[in-house]
Amino acid sequence: MRDTFAQTLFEEAKKDKNIILMTGDLGFGVLDRFQQELPNQFINSGVNEQSLMGMAAGIASTGKRVFVYSIGNFPTLRCLEQIRNDVCLMNNSVVVVSVGAGYAYGPQGYTHHALEDIAVMRALPNMQVIVPADPIETRILTQLLVKSKLPSYLRLGRSNEKNIHLKDINIKQGKFIEIEKGKFGTLIFSGSIGDIALEAAANLKLIGYPVSIVSCPFISNLDHEYLVVAAAKGPIVTIEEHSSRGGLGSSILEFLSFAKITSSLAIIAAEQKNPSQVGSQEFLRKSNGLSSERIIEKFRALLEF
Amino acid sequence: MTSAANASHVASALSVIDILSVLYTGTAVITPENTEAADRDIVILSKGHAASALYTVLALQEFFPMDWLQNYCQDDASLGGHVTSKGVPGVELSTGSLGHGLPYGVGIAMARKMTGTAGRVFVVMSDGECDEGTTWESAMIANHHNLDNLVVIVDRNRIQSLTFTEDTLKLEPFANKWEAFGWEARVVNGHDYNELTLAVTKSNSPVCVIAETTKGKGVGFMENSILWHYKSPSGSDVEKAFFQLSENY
Repeated sequence: MRDTFAQTLFEEAKKDKNIILMTGDLGFGVLDRFQQELPNQFINSGVNEQSLMGMAAGIASTGKRVFVYSIGNFPTLRCLEQIRNDVCLMNNSVVVVSVGAGYAYGPQGYTHHALEDIAVMRALPNMQVIVPADPIETRILTQLLVKSKLPSYLRLGRSNEKNIHLKDINIKQGKFIEIEKGKFGTLIFSGSIGDIALEAAANLKLIGYPVSIVSCPFISNLDHEYLVVAAAKGPIVTIEEHSSRGGLGSSILEFLSFAKITSSLAIIAAEQKNPSQVGSQEFLRKSNGLSSERIIEKFRALLEF
Repeated sequence: MTSAANASHVASALSVIDILSVLYTGTAVITPENTEAADRDIVILSKGHAASALYTVLALQEFFPMDWLQNYCQDDASLGGHVTSKGVPGVELSTGSLGHGLPYGVGIAMARKMTGTAGRVFVVMSDGECDEGTTWESAMIANHHNLDNLVVIVDRNRIQSLTFTEDTLKLEPFANKWEAFGWEARVVNGHDYNELTLAVTKSNSPVCVIAETTKGKGVGFMENSILWHYKSPSGSDVEKAFFQLSENY
């Protein structure tokens, strides 16, 4: 995803001098081409996320679209007040880009696990939170972010994610992306955890309980229309590589509750029982309850089969 | 204004008001007519708690009507207790959390360099604000990128929230610190209009003007008093203050 992002932004920046890419000294091997070929649109400010974000806001205030690239919690939690005051409340055109969603940097330890970022970014005024599931979504959403002027947060996986979508897709602002239809319920995922969701949906189909499966890239701008229909159709299960507090499932629950829609909903999120645990993304997902088996269990309980 | 709003920071405002007056009366190229011009000079009051001084100067320079000042801090007013930019002409950045103005100003100065746009950036900071890490991060960045279009003016009144700066976290040797970071440091009397005007002339590096000021300047019982960082003046205080200010100016 990060390479697709870098390549897409590079292509867009070649056409538009107003696109600026900033980094807090991260992106080795990822941002090289951008830096070499578009040096006047690239700034590595050094290791100083708070100043970096304040500067990004200042640059954006002059009419630029500024992308700030870093990893894990560095471009979000480390400089949260700069994002709140100088980007969001001043309505400056900055896109915060973080690579390493969830447990993507699993072996590096909890300093590098990004599990609260969606909740925190989503709480900020004027902020649009965007979470692509695969390289195809990353390309389209990066193009969309280039055109948008809104303060934004782009949450990326890391590298080598497989494409979840088998063909090119259409993405509309504020809409879910439906991958398959199924009459027994709806499985909603966000981010690269989609591979597990797809596996679960395939198994549910095999045992005679096909469910709809959708990707939700716009967490701060949910597809209300789709949710109303889905809640009426059957149970909803959500899965995300993030804390259960304030993420995808939580935001869907808030909507359904505010709209007074009765539904049967199960949220699968990172359990964080032992935050100090290290290991591969695959290992940490499993040990924190993020698996296709858990999805099937939840549907089994809600559908009583 | 501060008394009517029962607001704090009157002494901080008296400390910085001469600096703001110098900037907004011609030293910085910013007028009610050019607030949207791409090459205007930018003034950022990073010590957002001195908002009453900025609003007063802006009203006197006719950026907005004088009667707005009466609503300072009142329900639904444009002018908040800390510097607010939304709907207030002449204000570039809302401030109030210290350490935000300089990175933002560095960003604008850098963007101007990238696009070859004229106009300078003035960031007015408090000395207590120099406790913030972003001050020194940004000082390094500004020097590294040769931002000779950037001027910092530090309101060096030597008092921060709870006590004197040198008893809280030593800033001295203050000018040397800025010089060590690659800036040209100029120490001047922060209440002397001629010295201030000369101090902000262009250099070939970023400039830090250390404006030696008196907190609560012009009002004897407020001068150099820790208390008046927070205390709001009551009726008799206001009368005395106005009398002394009229005597002193």
